[in-house]
Amino acid sequence: MNMFEPIRLALRSLRTNKVRSLLTMLGIIIGVSSVILLVSIGSGLQDYITTQFQSLGANTIYIMPGKIDLKNVSSAGQSMMTSKLETADVNNILHGSSVITDIGPAVAASGLLTYKGKTISTETAGIWENYFTITNFEAASGDIIRQSDVERSRKVVVLGDKPAADLFGDADPVGQSIDISGVRYLVKGRLAAKGSGAMGSNVDDHAFIPYTTALRQFSFTNPQMIVLKVANQNDIAPAIEDINHVMLRRLKDTDFTVLQQTELLNTITQFLGVITVALGGIAAISLLVGGIGIMNIMLVSVTERTREIGLRKAVGATSRDILFQFLIEAIILSLTGGIIGISIGALGSLALRSVIKTAVTLWSVGLAAGFSTVIGIIFGVAPAVRASQLDPIEALRYE
Amino acid sequence: MTDILRLAGVSREYKMDGVTFQALRDVSLTIKQGEFIAIMGPSGSGKSTLMHLIGCLDRPSSGKIFIEGKDIIGANDRELAEIRNTHIGFVFQQFNLLRKTSALANVELPLIYAKIASRARRERAIEMLKEVGLAEKMSNFPSQLSGGQQQRVAIARALITNPSIILADEPTGNLDSKSGKDIMDIFENLHAHGRTIVLVTHDENVAKHAKRIIRIADGEIMNDKGKMKL
Ligand SMILES: Nc1ncnc2c1ncn2[C@@H]1O[C@H](COP(=O)(O)OP(=O)(O)O)[C@@H](O)[C@H]1O
Ligand SMILES: [Mg+2]
Repeated sequence: MNMFEPIRLALRSLRTNKVRSLLTMLGIIIGVSSVILLVSIGSGLQDYITTQFQSLGANTIYIMPGKIDLKNVSSAGQSMMTSKLETADVNNILHGSSVITDIGPAVAASGLLTYKGKTISTETAGIWENYFTITNFEAASGDIIRQSDVERSRKVVVLGDKPAADLFGDADPVGQSIDISGVRYLVKGRLAAKGSGAMGSNVDDHAFIPYTTALRQFSFTNPQMIVLKVANQNDIAPAIEDINHVMLRRLKDTDFTVLQQTELLNTITQFLGVITVALGGIAAISLLVGGIGIMNIMLVSVTERTREIGLRKAVGATSRDILFQFLIEAIILSLTGGIIGISIGALGSLALRSVIKTAVTLWSVGLAAGFSTVIGIIFGVAPAVRASQLDPIEALRYE
Repeated sequence: MTDILRLAGVSREYKMDGVTFQALRDVSLTIKQGEFIAIMGPSGSGKSTLMHLIGCLDRPSSGKIFIEGKDIIGANDRELAEIRNTHIGFVFQQFNLLRKTSALANVELPLIYAKIASRARRERAIEMLKEVGLAEKMSNFPSQLSGGQQQRVAIARALITNPSIILADEPTGNLDSKSGKDIMDIFENLHAHGRTIVLVTHDENVAKHAKRIIRIADGEIMNDKGKMKL
């Protein structure tokens, strides 16, 4: 027999039992499509979060009051109230480090924004003029907070996308006046939307006023946060070292925490990576079940076709011919099931695009295709060997 | 005439639960080119066992078997398969056609294992079906054929490799007398064209078509009438 004859033989025999072939493939189809789909959801999430973080500026570092456990973000709120950070730290750090390009203090309080009788509650941050440079924000219209605004404690506000939309809809808020907790402010700008970011907060859901104005309005004396930026990724580690050096001269290491995006991002992507692999693993188990299904039906098929096997041997088939016929049948079944499963998984992931940014990854496709072929071979061997070892006389006598 | 097949002191034992059962004992026989032999004997006397040995589906417990002078005792699985493919044509009582497979594809089957290209297989299978008078039924499935027609397909399949010997184990056993007679006519015709045929039967009427009748009982040859002389 040439190379194609066993394949043709297997195909013909699969075609004559269409329903059985389809049922055999079902397990593989379900397994493969769930691997593809679940992994695509997982890596879609990873992609999404990574791009979100990058848009927030990967080179940004935050100094927060108190000890903040990354795994317990809610503890941050408390230490904000008893901040031991000081405005003077900003200059000390800037002078104590050669890699920090921009640095500024910040405070935040819950403010009530009122415009034309409509009131919304918005986190209002008092920020230094370089805050927008540090965090990669840009004005969609108007202007951002400038040095002179901070120096003169001007009552100007830059609205995030969400409060701007809530108060003004599509209208341009620039030049309008709004009240923030009873004090009148001039709207200086509106920021471009960025989407949700670090620590679950929505960065678009803020109003920004000059730092000095905020201290006065909300009666703060200490910054609640110091935000700074380094030129590139490699500067992050030395910067943190410099910060610790400067801060520990004055404070205990439980009085402040240095946070940076990459660390946070790594924690989250690591977590998502584990989830993705776990989802893939769970789906892979169903692939295994699918493989056992193939073995099961192939074994039944060998029994059912005992006489056929006997006859084939009587007319000249060697044990090897029979072995290959059944093995190739199993491989074709699982490979076809794999291809159908990949298509269904990819279609499903495409259909989910409107809800969540899924990404069909090459490795999951490769894994699924490879895995189903391997399953076809592994679980096809036992039935094929059994078929090939049948005694032709017994087989021909089989009822 | 040349010897197609020679059995020398062949025995076949079956061991079951420690008990040895002798299905064939010390059988010697020679089959020559062009012979038409009927093997007769009571049920369980070893007729099928003998046929399986002649057809290289089985190996003897002792003794020697030569096919066209070649000793097959030492042959491995692959060589035996090749001998079955090229030298032997089997016809069974149960027809043993592949279901859901056309008459034509059934006839082609042995040529697949003879590594013949598909086009040549097809042409040859059509020719064989013509020879047994079933050319117009070539795309029918076995279930769409009568018993007699199915057996004719099986004969076409046995003939397609142009074997040295045709072995038919009770080929008319499952057929009514009319179809049985048609099948025997085909065997007569094949014999007339010089084919070597060995058939097993219970039926004296079937056996009388043969020129030589071997009677066996309890695994031994009792009587061998009409042996061809050199
Ligand atoms: N595989 C086997 N195991 C044990 N005994 C067998 C086997 N095959 C055949 N026999 C026995 O050998 C004897 C001859 O069988 P067989 O050649 O089929 O007889 P028949 O003449 O009816 O064709 C019977 O008694 C049968 O039971
Ligand atoms: Mg018998």
